[in-house]
Amino acid sequence: MVTRETQVEELMKMPGAIAWCVLHGVSLFSCAGAFPGTVGRLLELKLVKDIDGFLRDLNDGVGQDALGGP
Amino acid sequence: MVKPDSNYKLFIDGQWVDGKEGKTFKAANPANGETLATCVDAGKEDVDLAVSAAWKAFETWKHVSPQERSRMLLKIADLIDANAERLAMIETLDNGKPIRETLGIDVPLSSDHFRYFAAAVRTEEGQAVMIDQDTLSLILHEPIGVVGQIIPWNFPLLMGAWKMAPALAAGDTVVIKPSSTTSLSLLELAKLMNQVLPPGVVNVITGRGSAAGNHILEHPGFRKLGFTGSTEVGYTIADAAAKKLIPATLELGGKSANIFFPDAPWEKAVEGVLVGILFNQGQVCCAGSRVFVHADIYDKFLAECVAMFNQVKVGLPWEKDTQMGAIVNGDQLQKILAYVEVGMKEGAKVACGGKRITAGGLDKGFFMQPTILAGVDNRMRVAQEEIFGPVATFIKFRTEAEVVAMANDSEYGLGGAVWTKDINRAMRVANAVETGRMWVNNYNNLPAHAPFGGYKKSGIGRETHKMILEHLTQKKNIFISLSEAKIGLY
Repeated sequence: MVTRETQVEELMKMPGAIAWCVLHGVSLFSCAGAFPGTVGRLLELKLVKDIDGFLRDLNDGVGQDALGGP
Repeated sequence: MVKPDSNYKLFIDGQWVDGKEGKTFKAANPANGETLATCVDAGKEDVDLAVSAAWKAFETWKHVSPQERSRMLLKIADLIDANAERLAMIETLDNGKPIRETLGIDVPLSSDHFRYFAAAVRTEEGQAVMIDQDTLSLILHEPIGVVGQIIPWNFPLLMGAWKMAPALAAGDTVVIKPSSTTSLSLLELAKLMNQVLPPGVVNVITGRGSAAGNHILEHPGFRKLGFTGSTEVGYTIADAAAKKLIPATLELGGKSANIFFPDAPWEKAVEGVLVGILFNQGQVCCAGSRVFVHADIYDKFLAECVAMFNQVKVGLPWEKDTQMGAIVNGDQLQKILAYVEVGMKEGAKVACGGKRITAGGLDKGFFMQPTILAGVDNRMRVAQEEIFGPVATFIKFRTEAEVVAMANDSEYGLGGAVWTKDINRAMRVANAVETGRMWVNNYNNLPAHAPFGGYKKSGIGRETHKMILEHLTQKKNIFISLSEAKIGLY
C-alpha cells in the first residue's frame, strides 16, 4: 500500500511503478537518483492536484501490474 | 581489462574507513548486470565524521597559499592523466557510457578542470580603493569553509572535478557524495587526490540520497551546498540551505532547444542533432532534446537524421567502436520507454527507434535504440518534461519569432543551440532564448573557461568558470582610516 509517507525509493521497488508514474505525469527518478523523500512530498512538488486520487489509482494500477493484470 | 576494486570504503580524513552502520550496496555494470564492487551505504555518524574532518583540515588548508594550492591542483590533474585508462574504463563499466567518450571527453575534461582552476586561483586578487584622501578600503577574498557537494550519476568523474576543483582552489574543504548509482570513479579519484592533499581536505561519502544525502542536507556544519541533479531535488537542496541560511549553487534539469534554420551548415547540423541527444545516451542535463526544424527543410532533415540514427552503433560500452552504450540502469530504461509511450499517446510518431535492444549480446544490459519522435507539438509532455535518454522530439516551425516563443515555452533554461550561417540571425536567436548556454553551430561542448548554468528552473549559479569562485569565497572588507585626527563628534 503506497501512502503519502512511503519513501520514493521504496515505491520504485514495486514492479511497474516507475512506468505507471511516468504515464500518469510523475517521474520518480532523475540523474540525482530516486527522489530522496516521500511520495507525498514529490507529488506536491510535481503540483499534483488530487494527491489522494493519484495514490488510489497508483495502488490499483501498480497492484494489478504486480499481479500480472493489465 | 581494467577492473575496479571489489570493495570501496568511505574516504574520511585521508583514511579509507568502514561505515559505522555496516550497511553496503552493490555497484552494477549496466551493460551486463554483473556486480562491480561493494560500496558503503553511509549513515549520519559517517557524515558527522566527514564534516568534522573537513573543519579540522580547513584550519590549515585556508592558510595554504594560492601558489601551493595551485601546485596541488596541477599535480592532481597530472595524476588523472597518468591514470586516464583506468579512470575511463571504471567510469564506462559503472555508468555504461562508451569508452570513446570517457577516454576522449570525461577524463581529459576532468584533468583540464583542475588545471583551469589551478591557473584561475593565481589570478584572483582583492581590491584596494581610496574612499577619500584619508580612507582606504581593502576587499579580500576568504574561503567560505566546509562545502557539501552532491553530484549525479551521468558524469560522476567530471561533475566531481566541476565541484571540487574550484572549492579547493578557493581554499575550502569538501564533503562530496556521488550518486549511489555510479560511485566508483569518484572513489578512484579520491585515491589519487590522497597522494596530494592533506588529510580531510576532501572527504567522500557514498550511499543513498535518502540516507547519506539527506544527512548532508540536514547537517549544520556546512557553509555552502553545491548540487547537480533534478529540479525536484533542487527544491530540497534550496530548502535545506535556506533553513541553515547558507548559499547553494544548483545545476538542475533541462529541456533544451536545438534550432535548425534552412541555411544551417547541413552535414554538421545533422551531426549536431546526434551530438545533442545521443552523447552519453542522452543522459545529459543540457541535451538537445527539443529539435526545432524549419518547415522548409523539415522532411529532408528528418529523413537524414533518421538514417543517421539508424546507423549508430549501440553496443557494449567498453568496445572501442561503440557509439552509444548502456542506459545507466533498469529504472532509467523503464522511464525512457514509458516516455516513448506517452509521446505516442499524445500523437507523436516514432520515426526511428523507440524500443529496448536485446539482440547482439545486449540482452543482459539496458540498451535503448536511438529514437526520434516526429510530429511533436511543443506543448506535449515529451517536449516539456526531461526524458533523459536518447529520444529527440522533432518540432516544426515557420518563423524566427515562432521558434523563439516555443523555445522559451519551457520551465527550463539550461542549454540550447541555433544552427545558421546568418550571424545576425544567430545572435538574435541566441539573445532571445532564455537559457544559460546557447551554442551556435555546435552542441554539448562543455570545456572549462566558459560559464555553465541555468536560467529559470534549471538552476542558480554558474560553474566551469572562475566566477564560481565568487560563490566559494566570502568577502572581507578592511576599512582603514589613515588620518591621525579625531572625527570631532564627541
